[in-house]
Amino acid sequence: MSRGNPTSSSLTPTDDALIAAIRGGDERALAHLYRLHWPMVSHFVLQNSGTEDDAQDVYQEGVMVFYEKVRDGSLELSCQIKTYLYAVCRRLWLKRLTSKSRFGVRLLDDEEHGPYLNTGAEEDLLAAEEQDRRFATMSEALNHLGEPCRSLLEGFYLLDKSMQDLTAEFGYTNADNAKNQKYKCLVRLKKLFFAHYKEEPI
Amino acid sequence: MMTEADYYALFEAYSNGELAGPARANLEARLAADPALALRYADFAEMTGTLRAYGQRQQARQQLRGIHAAMLAADAPEEMAQPATGLTHTVNPMLRISRTERKLREFWSGHRATVGVAASVAVMAVFATLLGLDIWRSSKAQAPASVQWMRREINNLKQNQRAINRTIRRMDGTAVPQLPPVNNGKFGGTGFALTSEGYLVTSYHVIKEADSLLVEGRDRQRYRAEAVYSDKAHDLAILRITDKRFTGFGRLPYTFKAGQADLGERVFTLGYPREDVVYGEGSLSARSGFEGDTSAYQISIPVNPGNSGGPLLDAQGNLIGVINARQNDLEGTSFATKSSYLVRLVDSLRNTQSTTPYRLPKTSQLAGAARPQQLKKLQDYVFVVKVFE
Repeated sequence: MSRGNPTSSSLTPTDDALIAAIRGGDERALAHLYRLHWPMVSHFVLQNSGTEDDAQDVYQEGVMVFYEKVRDGSLELSCQIKTYLYAVCRRLWLKRLTSKSRFGVRLLDDEEHGPYLNTGAEEDLLAAEEQDRRFATMSEALNHLGEPCRSLLEGFYLLDKSMQDLTAEFGYTNADNAKNQKYKCLVRLKKLFFAHYKEEPI
Repeated sequence: MMTEADYYALFEAYSNGELAGPARANLEARLAADPALALRYADFAEMTGTLRAYGQRQQARQQLRGIHAAMLAADAPEEMAQPATGLTHTVNPMLRISRTERKLREFWSGHRATVGVAASVAVMAVFATLLGLDIWRSSKAQAPASVQWMRREINNLKQNQRAINRTIRRMDGTAVPQLPPVNNGKFGGTGFALTSEGYLVTSYHVIKEADSLLVEGRDRQRYRAEAVYSDKAHDLAILRITDKRFTGFGRLPYTFKAGQADLGERVFTLGYPREDVVYGEGSLSARSGFEGDTSAYQISIPVNPGNSGGPLLDAQGNLIGVINARQNDLEGTSFATKSSYLVRLVDSLRNTQSTTPYRLPKTSQLAGAARPQQLKKLQDYVFVVKVFE
C-alpha cells in the first residue's frame, strides 16, 4: 500500500517537512498544521451559512483524513496541503449542507484556493467514508459485546495496555488466563462484527 | 482439535513474529494449503487491524480536540515554536481576530442579505412617508387657493400692437391727436375715491408688489399715486394721489355705510376689467365670505380680473363693500370686503395720523335717482389702478 511520499514540484519545502514530521509522530507539527489552515476552513464554512462548531467538526474530520493518510504513508499529494485540506473540507461541508437543505446548495468559494478539483480528495474521502463505516460497525459490535470482554479488548487494542496490566486490572490469576479470555472475546467480537459489517449494503 | 480461540492465539503469536522457525513454516504451509484457515486468518487480521486503527482514530481525534482547544485558549496566537523539522518560516500568518469581531463577522456573513433588504426597505419607507406627508400637506394647502383674486394681468403684447396701429394711423395723417404709447404696467385693478382730498381705496392684493402706481380716470387723466396704508388681513389698501397737477375730486356723491347691509339687497358695481368702465349688478347673497369669512360679503355679481378694488354700492348709493375675489369652483360667487372694515380702518388712521385729513362724505347724492343717473355721477370717481413692478 505504501506508495511513498511524492515529491511533486507543487509541494513547498515546508509542506514536505511538515508531512515528514507528522509521519514521524511529531505532535507539534500536527498542531502547527492545524493552526495554520484553520482560518481558511473556518472562513469558508462561516461564509456558507455554517457556525463555528460546524467549522470545527468539518475541519477536524478533514485533518483526520489527511492525518491518517500521512500516517499510513498512502498520501499522494499533487498539490499543496492547503489546497488538499480545502478540497476535503469543502466536500465534507457540501455533503452536510445538502443533507440538511431541501434546496440545491451553491457554495461561495474563495478564489485564492484555486483548483480544488483533481486533488485526489474525492477518492480519499470515499476511502475515509468506508473506513468510517467500518469503525462505526466496530463500535457497535463492541457495545454489544458486554463486559468484561469489551473493557478487556478496549484496554488491549484501543488503549495499548500490556497484558500484565490487564491481568491485574481484571483480577485474572495469570497472564495466560487473561490471554485466553481475550481470544474468546475476539471470537465473539468477530461474529458480531462480521454479521453487521457484511450484511450492510455498500 | 483446536478451538477458534486457540487459532487466534496462534495467529497473534505469528503476526507478532513470536513463532519459532519450524512452527512458523508449518503455519505458513497450512495457510497456503487450507483456504478456510486463510480466510480465518484474514478475518483475524482485519479485525485486529480495525481495532487498532479505531483506537488510533480515537486518540487522534482526542489530540485534534486538544489542539483546537489550545488554539482557542491562546486566542491571540503567540508565535508557534517551529517544529523540530527545520521549518524556517511560517507559511501563512494566523489571522488575528478578536472574539467579539468574530461574533460580528459571523453575524454579518449570516445575515448580510437580510440586513441589506431591511435597510433599503427602511430607507424607502422613510422617503415614502416624507413624500406622502408632503403631498397631504400641499393638498390641504390647496383649498384656500380656490379663491381667485380679481386683479388683471395686462397683456403687453395686445397693448403694443395697439400702439403700433396708432402709430401707423398717425403716419397716414388721419389720426386725431393721441396719447403717446406708454408702458401700461403689469397688473391692473379698480379703485375709487375715499375723500375729496385725493385718497383712494383699492384691494391690497392689487398693489402688493407695486414699485409705482398710476391712477387713470374716465377722462384718461393719469395721476401718480402712492400707497399710504395696507390692511393685508381684510385685503384693503389706501392710496394717495401725489401728482402736483391734482387739485381734488370735488364732492363725493356716495357715503360709506358703517353698518352691515341686508341679505338680498340689490347691489351694483363699476369696474375696469377691460379698457372701458363696466357696470355689473346683482344682489347680496350671503353675509359672510369665503369659508365663512365674516369680514366679507358674498355677492352674485359676475366679476372678472380687473374688478378688484371696485366699489360695491346698494340701491340708495351707499358704499357697502370693496370687490376683491371670486371662488374658482363655484358659479357666480364673488366676494367683497365689508365697508364697515374700511370705515374702521379710516377711523384708526384718523386717530394715529391726526395731521392728515380724512373727511368722509356725509350725504349721498345718489339716493332716489335712477340707475343711469347714479352711474353718471359715480363714474368720475372710479379709476383704473395700474401697478408697475
